[in-house]
Amino acid sequence: MIVNTKNVEDKDFDIKRSADELRNLSFKDHVCIGCGICETTCPVEAISVGDVAAILRSNASDSKLSIDEDKCVLCGMCSGLCPANALVLSINGVNIADIPAYPKYESYAEIDEDKCIYCQRCEIACPREAITIARSLPDRSKLVTGEIEVLDEECVHCGICEELCPADAILVNRTPGAESIAIDKDKCVYCLVCKKSCPTTAIKASCRICSYGDYDIDPADAATKGSAFIDDELCINCGWCEGVCPTEAAKVKKPFTGTLEIHQDVCTVCGTCVDICPCDVLSFPEPTAPAQIVENVGKDEEYCIKCGACEKACPVNAIEVNVTAVDYTPTKSKSWIEKLEALKN
Amino acid sequence: MPSHICSGLKYLATIELKSNGYSQREIANELAINRSTVSHYLNGRNLSWNSIDVAKTVTQLSPKDFLILTQSLFKDLQMTQKIISICKIRNYEAEVSDTCIGCGLCVDLCLMKAVSLDSLKANIDSIKCCGCLICLEGCPTDSIKILEVFNDRKYKKR
Repeated sequence: MIVNTKNVEDKDFDIKRSADELRNLSFKDHVCIGCGICETTCPVEAISVGDVAAILRSNASDSKLSIDEDKCVLCGMCSGLCPANALVLSINGVNIADIPAYPKYESYAEIDEDKCIYCQRCEIACPREAITIARSLPDRSKLVTGEIEVLDEECVHCGICEELCPADAILVNRTPGAESIAIDKDKCVYCLVCKKSCPTTAIKASCRICSYGDYDIDPADAATKGSAFIDDELCINCGWCEGVCPTEAAKVKKPFTGTLEIHQDVCTVCGTCVDICPCDVLSFPEPTAPAQIVENVGKDEEYCIKCGACEKACPVNAIEVNVTAVDYTPTKSKSWIEKLEALKN
Repeated sequence: MPSHICSGLKYLATIELKSNGYSQREIANELAINRSTVSHYLNGRNLSWNSIDVAKTVTQLSPKDFLILTQSLFKDLQMTQKIISICKIRNYEAEVSDTCIGCGLCVDLCLMKAVSLDSLKANIDSIKCCGCLICLEGCPTDSIKILEVFNDRKYKKR
């Protein structure tokens, strides 16, 4: 007799089958985005996704999905097709994503540390809080002066340099008609982050250590050091990090391509989709006048992964997500290919 | 009584192996019994003919009953596999269709260890298959077909 065992811990659970090999399917609720792909894919109809929007809004203690352990055969399809990493099947302790016979999405998110200036914009933008940027600033006592100036005629007062400056040395006034930029040279560490991030060429800066070499100080002391880390478990490859990165250090490849459409005539602006979207793609537009009535939901498709969570959650079926292509690694299994191709509609 | 039926089954296996040209020593090794027992079996001594009759009936049951009964008599999977392989009356061939999802349930269910996974598809070894259909009954996608085939395949040494 082969019997599956289930081990529940808060909202998470593990389903195990232990015979010749040990299969373990683990579900992590905080990673689940509620897209429902597992429910429609499961070949034995063992998975049911709860009312994710209600769970999210009420902070209920329910798990976003449940699996009937008596029906589950631990085939791993839900794990292979989960666009987040909420369901993970491991065989003898090895994640099936690391077993070549199993297909997986061709998607990734990575930060090139050679280009990264550790400005932390991606960390702030990441809707999943998957990115950790640690940075250490150059110690002023180890630095000498440098030169920095701003060409007023080129500066567009966008404020990126102010936002990125690790030393809080830049002050940009963006009030229309009174734009200005000021640099506090007492605070500047001449790390050149502002110069690298400036979308125009308004900032001219150089560090004496780097440029002249006249001083007996290690040039390495002048650089902002740090580390960039993406938590693969939480990351859903939405592309926010790539979109906000000032130095093109972050690169993202999404698993699906397709379209997202909101039928504004049907939409009741209830905000369910805004709450559920894992990529912060859907939002209420900023009001432009006091007491303005919000008439529609806005979307920013650039960061949409076409997971379909909003479509599933919308109470009035106003959202249409169409997946036109799915990128996955090759597999010989016809049934797996069939399921992956069925994600398109 | 169960141990008598076990002896009966071993007797039947001994006779079968002998007719396949095995020497007494080879039979003793194959069935993990000592050579004097083999000699006794082959000379028809020290045996209850009633036990042999019962054992013969067991081998003629449906393949699944034969398998499960043998396993519960011997309580030793390796010995069960050996007895079934030697004494099974028919041969089988398996067909696995492309609807197989590679869940590996059949691998775990098969007492004869005849199933393995190859590129997310079950692969059933016809030589080891005893036709019990346990895999077929457990398959969540009805992807397995077990066909009875006629050939004169004999039990071979490994």
